[in-house]
Amino acid sequence: MTIGGSNHTFTFLGLTFNLGNMISILLACLIVLALVYGLSRHITMKPGKAQNVLEYIVDFTNGIVGGSVSGEASRMLGLWGFTLFLFLLVANNMGLFLHIDVSGITYVKSPTSDPVVTMTFSLMTLMLAQYLGVRTLGYKQHFENYLKPFKLFLVVNLFEEFTNFLTLGLRLFGNILSGEMLLTMITGMATGGGPVMWVAMLPLELVWQGFSVFISCIQAYVFVTLSSVYISQKIEIEEV
Amino acid sequence: MFSYSVVGAQLYTGDMLFVMISFLILMYLIKLVAWKPITKMMQNRSDKIANDIDSAKNSRDKAAELAQKRQAELDKTREDASAIMNTAKQNGQKQREQIVEDARNEASNLKSSAEKDIEQQRQEALANSRKDVASLSIEIASKIISKELNEDDQKELVNSYIEGLGKQK
Repeated sequence: MTIGGSNHTFTFLGLTFNLGNMISILLACLIVLALVYGLSRHITMKPGKAQNVLEYIVDFTNGIVGGSVSGEASRMLGLWGFTLFLFLLVANNMGLFLHIDVSGITYVKSPTSDPVVTMTFSLMTLMLAQYLGVRTLGYKQHFENYLKPFKLFLVVNLFEEFTNFLTLGLRLFGNILSGEMLLTMITGMATGGGPVMWVAMLPLELVWQGFSVFISCIQAYVFVTLSSVYISQKIEIEEV
Repeated sequence: MFSYSVVGAQLYTGDMLFVMISFLILMYLIKLVAWKPITKMMQNRSDKIANDIDSAKNSRDKAAELAQKRQAELDKTREDASAIMNTAKQNGQKQREQIVEDARNEASNLKSSAEKDIEQQRQEALANSRKDVASLSIEIASKIISKELNEDDQKELVNSYIEGLGKQK
């Protein structure tokens, strides 16, 4: 599943777990929590440095969510957008700085370079959209939206739902995986080809790492933006 | 790789559950640690700013009103002052005229009474001297001419004499 090594999996209660993913996810969660905890000390009316940073992030994610979702739902989704953005930001970048393989088995990497993780996030977005759709419009309205503009569109709408689910998860997975894969390849070339190769590969690695950080941030932003767009489509009555 | 994991037995359902649960727990913890206080504070701040703007507008209005009132009072005071000064000036003028008038009256009174006194005294003096001169001249005449004259002829003589004196004077 991951580059440069196989996974350590185990089965528990009939469910298959990947230890590498679990460690990476937990680590990402802890980093996010530590970051937010550290920034949210001493919250005052007149903001300090840390509070300013935190408020900027809050404003930023609120802006992403509020850009497509409006009104009361936007306030409700603020926390979700904030958490999702920070988690993806950290998770996407984690593997670029920290990649731990022990005897061929990966233990720490970007959790989002695994399709299972990204598809899970995609699925969560989908479920949230369905739940909010039913909650705001009611069952009847919500499912009638699938029959618009006319009944035959049900097929198209359902297919669109499925492709939304797939593209949302796979886009993120593909971007992060490709970044990590190339990094691993460059590292492999550097360590395998002697000191000259090592020196020659250093700037390349540097450039690719910088580019990957850029891509990672963009993908976190894109994921949250698209998620809120999908949700906004579900909580509004479709214009015919 | 993906197709393998989806089709094969290797779909990590445990991971999916783990991701979901850890994400929800993370969301809850962030809500507890940062989200609630920070959004509350941001709300409070925006409320405070709105309040401040309102109260600033109020105080500005009040200040303008106060300034206007003060200006009006100042104008009124200035008018009062000029009125008081005018009355004072008029009063002074009147008083001056009164005083001058009084003084003039007094002076003319004094003058007339003095004239009257002088006239009276002159009259008295004349009468006295007339009497004295008459008796004196009678005595003198009776002694010097030793000719008997009656008193009426004598008086006539003296009067004509005194009249001559008055004209000379």
